[in-house]
Amino acid sequence: MSSLAIYGERQSGEDVRTQNITACIAIANILRSSLGPVGLDKMLVDDMGDVIVTNDGATILKQLEVEHPAAKVLVELAQQQDEEVGDGTTSVVLLAAELLKRADDLVRRGIHPTNIIAGYRLAMRESCRFLRDTFAVSVEKLGKSCLLNTARTAISSKIIGSEIDFFANLAVEAVLAVKRKTEVGKYKYPIKAINILKKSGKGARDSQLLKGIGLNVTRASQGMPLRVSPAKIACLDFDLRRSKMKMGVQVLVEDPKELERIQEKEYEVTKSRIEAILKAGANAIFTTKGIDDAALKYFVEKNAIAVRRVAKDDMKRLAKATGASVQLTMADLGGEESFDPSFLGSAEEVVEETISDDKFIFVRGCKNLASGTIVLRGPNEYMCDEMSRSLHDCLCAVQRALESNYVVPGGGCVEASLSIFLENFATTLGGREQLAIAEFSDALLVIPKTLAANAALDATDMIAKLRAVHNAAQLDSNKGNLSHMGLDLENGHLRDNLEAGILEPAMSKIKSIQLATEAAITILRIDDLIKLKKKQEDESGEY
Amino acid sequence: MFQVPVLVLKEGTKRESGHKAQLGNITAAKAVSDTVRTTLGPRAMLKMVLDAMGGIVLTNDGNAVLREIDVSHPAAKSMIELSRTQDEEVGDGTTSVIVLAGELLSVAEPFIERGIHPRIVVNAYFKALDDAVEVIDKLATKIDPNDNKAVNNVIASCIGTKYMSRHKELMCELASTAVRTIATEVDGHKVIDIKNYARIEKVPGGGVEDSCVLRGVMFDKDVTHPKMRRKINNPKILLLDCPLEYTKLESQANVEIAKESDWEALLKQEETYVEKLCSEIVKLKPDLVITEKGVSDLAQHYLMKANISCIRRVKKTENNRIAKATGATIVSRAEEAKESDLGIAGLFEVKKIGDEYFTFITECASPKACTILLRGASKVLNVMKTFDILFLNSKKDVLNEIERNLQDALCVARNIMRDPRIVPGGGATEMFVSKALGEKAKSLEGVIQFPYRAVSQAMEVIPRTLLENCGANVVRALTELRAKYASGKETPWGVNGQTGEIVDMSQYGIWEPYTVKVQTIKTAVESAALLLRIDDIVSGISKKKDDGQNASQPQNEEE
Repeated sequence: MSSLAIYGERQSGEDVRTQNITACIAIANILRSSLGPVGLDKMLVDDMGDVIVTNDGATILKQLEVEHPAAKVLVELAQQQDEEVGDGTTSVVLLAAELLKRADDLVRRGIHPTNIIAGYRLAMRESCRFLRDTFAVSVEKLGKSCLLNTARTAISSKIIGSEIDFFANLAVEAVLAVKRKTEVGKYKYPIKAINILKKSGKGARDSQLLKGIGLNVTRASQGMPLRVSPAKIACLDFDLRRSKMKMGVQVLVEDPKELERIQEKEYEVTKSRIEAILKAGANAIFTTKGIDDAALKYFVEKNAIAVRRVAKDDMKRLAKATGASVQLTMADLGGEESFDPSFLGSAEEVVEETISDDKFIFVRGCKNLASGTIVLRGPNEYMCDEMSRSLHDCLCAVQRALESNYVVPGGGCVEASLSIFLENFATTLGGREQLAIAEFSDALLVIPKTLAANAALDATDMIAKLRAVHNAAQLDSNKGNLSHMGLDLENGHLRDNLEAGILEPAMSKIKSIQLATEAAITILRIDDLIKLKKKQEDESGEY
Repeated sequence: MFQVPVLVLKEGTKRESGHKAQLGNITAAKAVSDTVRTTLGPRAMLKMVLDAMGGIVLTNDGNAVLREIDVSHPAAKSMIELSRTQDEEVGDGTTSVIVLAGELLSVAEPFIERGIHPRIVVNAYFKALDDAVEVIDKLATKIDPNDNKAVNNVIASCIGTKYMSRHKELMCELASTAVRTIATEVDGHKVIDIKNYARIEKVPGGGVEDSCVLRGVMFDKDVTHPKMRRKINNPKILLLDCPLEYTKLESQANVEIAKESDWEALLKQEETYVEKLCSEIVKLKPDLVITEKGVSDLAQHYLMKANISCIRRVKKTENNRIAKATGATIVSRAEEAKESDLGIAGLFEVKKIGDEYFTFITECASPKACTILLRGASKVLNVMKTFDILFLNSKKDVLNEIERNLQDALCVARNIMRDPRIVPGGGATEMFVSKALGEKAKSLEGVIQFPYRAVSQAMEVIPRTLLENCGANVVRALTELRAKYASGKETPWGVNGQTGEIVDMSQYGIWEPYTVKVQTIKTAVESAALLLRIDDIVSGISKKKDDGQNASQPQNEEE
């Protein structure tokens, strides 16, 4: 124990940096084999024995419960990429780890971390600029097939990669179906309007896109009709059970007769609420809370569907799509309880359907906004879960491509081109940053290298060829068409990936370079690690 | 300062990667499929599973066996899920799906060992799946779902492999009648809700021959008061889901009683409440009141005076079925009951069978729900007398197995009603697929053709297992079968699971629903693909986040 006046351990300088970087590389090594169209999946088992099978970098890291503080930064990095872009979570981690590894070498050679950081920053800015200005191809130029191709690229590495055309179509259709115009005249494609339902059974091919919203709930009573059309939808966020006082409130009555009146009232309150709702014309009632069994008959008599315990998120989606407003209470300004017909949303039909052994409620033909539901089928739950994660990535990719309007060819093409560009750029600089930028340029190659290695190709050989082509493209303006060359992992040679339809949203690439650099910088800046002991240990300590 | 090894993952986390993980998965899957292998086909053997509570499950239903088994390997878990999926989706073929998935994985093993990338294998599998479904599509023939004989024939093939095969005709009849009863047409497609509306009620005793489908429902309850009528012709029935007794308030209410008279008033009030409730009911003149909740002694008294029979504490699902069968609406508050809420049945009767009372509400005009009354076990018991000790209280175990058989039969009947396409059984369909895939493999280019051909071989596992289970000379019979198919004729040759002979299935008459067969193959192939794609298993991750500090001790990185 050092003489330092803290109760804990302290490490500083080289030690800490090396340790951090080793941890980050270890994290990247876990993910490495899941990158690319020939990547494989991981099976994660928790101590309860629950299984997750996945290929998604963010999910793997989230489940792994990483302990090391620096490695945690990378886990968060993947999460961030997942939230902001939705796709490319594996590559961002690989890139960050590679940047760190190279920075470590530089530090050993006596370059101060701040120099490296400055160099990395510069390289990041330059590469983003290069990507945006000269490399990206607009979606319009490529036409609709470009969307399909983007979807295909996102799916290709996943479990549903074998049914690539089917799911790419599904994803593109789903995203286009929820297209909506914002106030400023831009088009938006809110992925959140697409609901993914999972049910094991049938085959992956039997997954389908349904118009409207699907909810994993059933009607409250079997006496209710299976289908109402046209549907007037009431969305409630309060209980339709026998009303009772809040906890702790006691009613003291003098006269026993009062007791009966209280009981009567308890029933009446709920009854009058339901009657008000039904009177307003509602024939499909959804609530996030419960409905008393005793109250179900009112709905049955009016031929209305009532659904209880709808998830909050589903409720929001439903309200948005049908134009209903979610009611928290029925009290109005006058102190009475009423339900205005204007709170109701409308849809063409609300129907309960059976898929496999489970029942689902579908709301079709919503008035306000288009929405979609994708029903995923598969041999078991693990597969359905992974399918839904994969599809989510794919939906995100399509959405980004549509909203940012630019795509770049994938398959290591961007990275190779950037690496050449940065190398040339580095030589124009005089300072120590030159070295850092050169390393940055090398680090980018980790993506094509890993892709090639996963496909069991000779990575060194492939990268050399790839770089040669891109060098030629950048030196000689006549050979500009070579700049889209990337790896063809199936056949093991180079090809024009723009033509082959391997496309990724430009925004995803830019973001992943930015995020990876930022994460690497964060870790590089650390030169001191203090781990405090737990307070409890302090008290019971033997000093 | 000493150099600490860098720790990344938590203590206790195990990692397995690369070939080790892949081969481990395959081995685990094979182990699962070996467990149920012998339960396939007409010469199937039962499994006896002793569960943790000491109960016995006697079954040859793949799903039922696997459900009881507690496995630790994640891949094995994934396999077990398959049979559940199959059970939920089509209700039959739970064993074949496991056997087929296990075989598909084991034929992939040499490819993985030889270093062929799993992706290629997976792609080949999916390609083969598409082609296989196409072959089955072509092979399928339609039957008329209203033709009782044809439908029964298909159900018979399903029952043939079960414990109840001796009572084949009866079981078929039960299943098809029950399904026909509850089938309703909504918007042009058939809705058949077996789970909710067809109930199997097991009553030990009697012979299996006494089992029947009731035109109505039956449940194990007696009237609440011994003097109430136990048999009513054409009863009017009121269904309630509220108690016929004084209920407490939802809100916290306390009554402070100052005077003695108040106390009396309070008691009186409770009585008048019940009286009022009953008088409302009596006004409607039902002959029978059934409620999901309780009935107080006082209410019984009033009802008896009005000559109304009463049954209490019926299950919610039971009540729903009665409502469906009699056309009644379940009333939630006795005060609100209307004439139109009453339902009508042909006969209400409480019978004593064995030691227990059972209520029958039968002869309904157009029941949309039904109960299948299952009798039996006494005969079975005689046979098993030698194992006295074990089977002393195993009447229910046997009945449980009969119930599972019947459940499968019901599902098959439902599938046929929904999709009346059938394919030949006895391994004939698999042989057709195998042959077609084998031929197609020749036209494929590249490495993909080897795993593709492997699928074709894996399909043979079904006829092979059938042969193994009936003790035939597997090699000779399978070669004969292959030779028959190689001749190129379109006759559906298959295995006679009783004798192990090769017979023409169209003559022998073993047919299976198209939906079951396609589902089996889809599920098996896709799950095999799922397991093949895994190259890394990390286990021992704790589910909940703990404070994370206690693990700050340095520890080796596990890799």
